[in-house]
Amino acid sequence: MKIKLQDIEYLIEIFDSSDWDEMYLKCEGVELFLSTDPNARSTRIAPVTTPLSVPAASAVEPAAKAGATADVASVASTTVPSHWVALKAPNLGTFYRAPKPGAPSFVEVGQHVVADTEVCLIEVMKLFTSLKAGVTGIVRQVCVEDAAMVEFGDTLFYIEPS
Amino acid sequence: MRLKRLFVANRGEIAVRILRAARKLGIETVLGVSAADRDGLGAEMADRAVVIGPAPSAKSYLDVRLVVHAAKSTGCDALHPGYGFLSEKPALSRMCEDEGIVFVGPRAQTIEALGDKLAARALARETGVRTVPGTDHMASVDAAREAAAELGYPVVMKASAGGGGRGMFKATGPVELEASFDKASREAETAFGDGRLYLERFVERARHVEVQIMGDGEGKVVHFGERDCSVQRRYQKLIEEAPASAVPDATRKRLHESAIRLTSFAKYRNAGTVEFLYDVDRDDFYFIEVNSRIQVEHPVSEEITGEDLIARQLQVAAGEGLQLRQEEVRVTGHAIECRINAEDPRHGFAPAPGRITRWLAPIGEGIRLDTHARQGYLVPPFYDSMIGKLIARGRDRNEAIDRMLSAIDSFVIEGPKTTLALARFIVAHRDFRNNNMTTRWLEDIGLPAFQTQ
Repeated sequence: MKIKLQDIEYLIEIFDSSDWDEMYLKCEGVELFLSTDPNARSTRIAPVTTPLSVPAASAVEPAAKAGATADVASVASTTVPSHWVALKAPNLGTFYRAPKPGAPSFVEVGQHVVADTEVCLIEVMKLFTSLKAGVTGIVRQVCVEDAAMVEFGDTLFYIEPS
Repeated sequence: MRLKRLFVANRGEIAVRILRAARKLGIETVLGVSAADRDGLGAEMADRAVVIGPAPSAKSYLDVRLVVHAAKSTGCDALHPGYGFLSEKPALSRMCEDEGIVFVGPRAQTIEALGDKLAARALARETGVRTVPGTDHMASVDAAREAAAELGYPVVMKASAGGGGRGMFKATGPVELEASFDKASREAETAFGDGRLYLERFVERARHVEVQIMGDGEGKVVHFGERDCSVQRRYQKLIEEAPASAVPDATRKRLHESAIRLTSFAKYRNAGTVEFLYDVDRDDFYFIEVNSRIQVEHPVSEEITGEDLIARQLQVAAGEGLQLRQEEVRVTGHAIECRINAEDPRHGFAPAPGRITRWLAPIGEGIRLDTHARQGYLVPPFYDSMIGKLIARGRDRNEAIDRMLSAIDSFVIEGPKTTLALARFIVAHRDFRNNNMTTRWLEDIGLPAFQTQ
């Protein structure tokens, strides 16, 4: 049975919603180690020094269905260097680049950010959640238009880690 | 008013079912999916599918705000909640009302009123619909002991805020009652946020009989016959049928009248089911609750009336009224439904998610399969295990049984373990053929017999 990218995503989701601390899977040319401890290292797999690049499949916006308007800019994964980190929407909502209408955007392309830098707001029925960069680096791409609806997993920004 | 674009806030087979009905009526569709259902049949069928959250239900299908935001942002003017999930959470109906989205279901205040078991019982009494002899909420174990003595043992303690069989304790005598009262109250508090308990007479031989109704929200209600759902395990239905041939005609007529009286008084809007406990020995029935949603087993009522209940839900929601008189509802023949769950009945019904490696659906006269599953489908571990419903219709009950057996025999599912073989065993059983099951039958007789096979 060939392991697909989606199966790995499922495994991550299942692990996330379980009460396990660790998981090691070896199957069909794939070795996967998951841990709830950010400092954990598998003794069986050589550590990866660069952040695991986001699976290419989810960085590409699926073609809009007939009748639907595409309100998310498509970014082909082939044009983005693999070490750039994609910041993804944690849930569906409306994406806002600025804290208030008319205010300057949280971040612009080329701006340096740290893990705690607020980069945008996601609004769900008037409840606003701010998203943080999560890495230290430079904002390389803003992938969504202001006030556009985003879906869970949509890539909002590409950040080049420094 | 015409519904232009419908948001389907559910998943699995019922999402597919709703999408089918909407498409038939020329209504555009948007399906809200979790990440795990992105590539499902529903997502393919909908005009548009939007991923609202990750796989876990709490972060996707159960999040009222996410669902309504998705419906609004995709320009939907109506929302169908399916069954389970948020279908009976007044918050969803209310938020839709506030946002100007037509909710395909009852008003929020109706859902709220009927969701409170004690308030529902009060409504039944007000409309002259008999309830199981029982009490109001018991303030203390002493009050419970007194009331139970009057009712006569055995009694069952129930949580006022419970449902679906949860929060129920049986007591055969005062010792058992006193021992479990506090525990039952605490468990109810934890599970439902409300520790109030009430008592009911325990009926030894019961059948679960329910009536399908549809109301226009202004007092007019039509029924589509009754269903018998007595084959249950831990209060979860496995097999349903319509009509309830084991109940005498005169009693069935009274069931219909009671269901209509109650829901008409409540000015019930859209589809609902009035559940009764049928006391086999006394040939009497008692009101249990109203389910303010379309139900899993709605297909058997459709098959015996030639009706499309989901389409009618959409029409009522669009403000077109019932467009139907009771006399125009004709019941012919018999229909049986077997739920197919990805569970291993030989190992405690443990959930069996996984990839379906082979799927050969049965086809034939009077056979219907409501499903979202197909070959290659990965049954996810995050949701309930039902992967389909197999329905067989016949000119009479025997023909429906024969067709069901034939359909199951030609149905191939490989990959996850399923309850298909158990369904076959039950339908082929002499007791099923003779239609003398009670709600205890499956656990007391059917399952033990199956396990020793």
